[in-house]
Amino acid sequence: MRSFINPLFALILAGVLAACSSTPTEEDTSATDNMAQQTDTTPTQPVEPVAPVKPDTSSIPLTADNFYNHPSNYDGTTDTRVIYFAFDSNTVPAAAFETLRAHATYLKNNANAKVRLEGNADERGTREYNVALSERRAKAVEKFLRVQGVSASQIETVAYGEEKPAAFGHTEMDWAKNRRVEINYLSGRP
Amino acid sequence: MMRLLVAVVTACWVMTAQAELVIRVTEGRADAVPIAVVPFSGASQAPEDVSQIVEADLHRSGQFKPIPASDMLSRPHNENQMIYRDFKVIGAEYVIAGSMKKQETGGYEVSYALFDVGSQKKLIEETYRPPASQLRDVAHAISDRIYEQLTGIPGAFSTKILYVTFNRKVDTPYQLQYADADGHRVTTILRSKEPIMSPTWSPDGRKIAYVSFEDHGRPAIYIQNLATTERHKVSSFDGINGAPDWSPDGQKLALTLSRDGNPEIYMLDLNSKALTRLTHNYAIDTEPRWLPDGEHLIFTSSRSGGPQIYKLDINDKSVRRVSFEGSYNARSDVTPDGHYLVYVHRRNGKFNVGVQDLQRGTFNIVTKTDMDESPSVAPNGSMVIYGTQDRGTGVLEAVSIDGSVKVELPSKEGEVREPAWSPFL
Repeated sequence: MRSFINPLFALILAGVLAACSSTPTEEDTSATDNMAQQTDTTPTQPVEPVAPVKPDTSSIPLTADNFYNHPSNYDGTTDTRVIYFAFDSNTVPAAAFETLRAHATYLKNNANAKVRLEGNADERGTREYNVALSERRAKAVEKFLRVQGVSASQIETVAYGEEKPAAFGHTEMDWAKNRRVEINYLSGRP
Repeated sequence: MMRLLVAVVTACWVMTAQAELVIRVTEGRADAVPIAVVPFSGASQAPEDVSQIVEADLHRSGQFKPIPASDMLSRPHNENQMIYRDFKVIGAEYVIAGSMKKQETGGYEVSYALFDVGSQKKLIEETYRPPASQLRDVAHAISDRIYEQLTGIPGAFSTKILYVTFNRKVDTPYQLQYADADGHRVTTILRSKEPIMSPTWSPDGRKIAYVSFEDHGRPAIYIQNLATTERHKVSSFDGINGAPDWSPDGQKLALTLSRDGNPEIYMLDLNSKALTRLTHNYAIDTEPRWLPDGEHLIFTSSRSGGPQIYKLDINDKSVRRVSFEGSYNARSDVTPDGHYLVYVHRRNGKFNVGVQDLQRGTFNIVTKTDMDESPSVAPNGSMVIYGTQDRGTGVLEAVSIDGSVKVELPSKEGEVREPAWSPFL
């Protein structure tokens, strides 16, 4: 049971539990509020990956259940353009915080850059209701970036519901890949 | 049965150019009425076999069981040739006999009669003289007339189905199409690289409304005239522009907008362009559908947690919950008499179509598939068409309100979704 003492795994597990216990309402901003206190207050600092050692995440098996919060999906830089979500959740996963902070820093340093946050849902449930759910995901990411100090004028959101799947199968893993927000740079791409 | 299958296959063969919907009756009523549709004389030389189309229509309703022509002892084409005894022997309760004669004008004279074997009486006799291009219309009109004569309910065979197709192998994966209710005569309305959603009919059947993301991937609601293809963008606010539904008087559109930060139900006056917000709730409010009285809407809301169906009075904006079974009920439609609601219900992780009797308060699941969505009621209230999945592909199916009849409409390529049954045309 090596994984039980792996702190990274514990963090992920905490994220999973947090996501499960939270109800998807607009009031649920706990993740973003916490982040506000941890924000790096020196925006001019370059986005060098200061974390000296990337944790070895290979020991954590990637499953449909932990996919949204799996470290392998987020490299902590603006190269990562997709944020995943748990089932029926619009909570930004903890594993994506560093990546989103990198996007926030980039946007703050590049006033000409504009992003469109494209919310998506998996195929379960009705189409227009899924549009509404996917908008909440896009808005959760928007709120995260705004709390980091990104200007509202640099962000737009669009909700695609289940209409633009990334994975076309019908398994739990396909659904995990489709519950996502894509960060689409409309201008000033990094 | 075999003969019908052959008929359907032949019809598809003739029209291979278009990806037509093929319709299969998978579950008919045990008490379906045996009916003999005698092949019309002259039908095999005509571009469309009216007798075959009528037979397929009646079969598809699930209420009639056609008797194979090979079982018929005689094949009358008019009243003089009718021998009731021959049909009594093979168990037919009704007989349809007729003829197709080519006219010098290039058109056809189609005559038929409907006979009641039990009382040995002729119930209907009619003659039509359509151009060749309208033979299918005449066939569906005959089916409508016969269906109403025998069931007391107007037939819905002359109606159309509007739907979205998705085929990622083509350059414009999203297409908006409509077809006859039997899947024939497909017309493409819009092709797009971006999603098309939530198509719906105007009450007079002349226009449609839909959501298209064609403008740089942003959603807008369009109204399009089917005959002239002229169209207007009627809603393109920031955020969601979704779920349009025409009021019964055709003057207003109910829709979902999130321009105030959260999905809410609005009403757009199509003449004055005035916009009225109808819901005020932090939860998701979407999927509005007018009730026949034009004074109320039903819609989906997550105000109690998961999605449930609510009823809204558009005058005083009061809201009352309607669905109570289970934790997921969404995307409702209503029968024309306002008697039943049909909506998507989740049970044990499966999504099915449920029917709620608003007068008796009962609720029944009427489908056995999974991932069912977008139920749409026929204008005569007899059937519900909906989207579902068959071996991982989106297909359309139809079910009777009581669940006893099921019809499959598998697509030939790509996915078919979001069917909207037209009003009477």
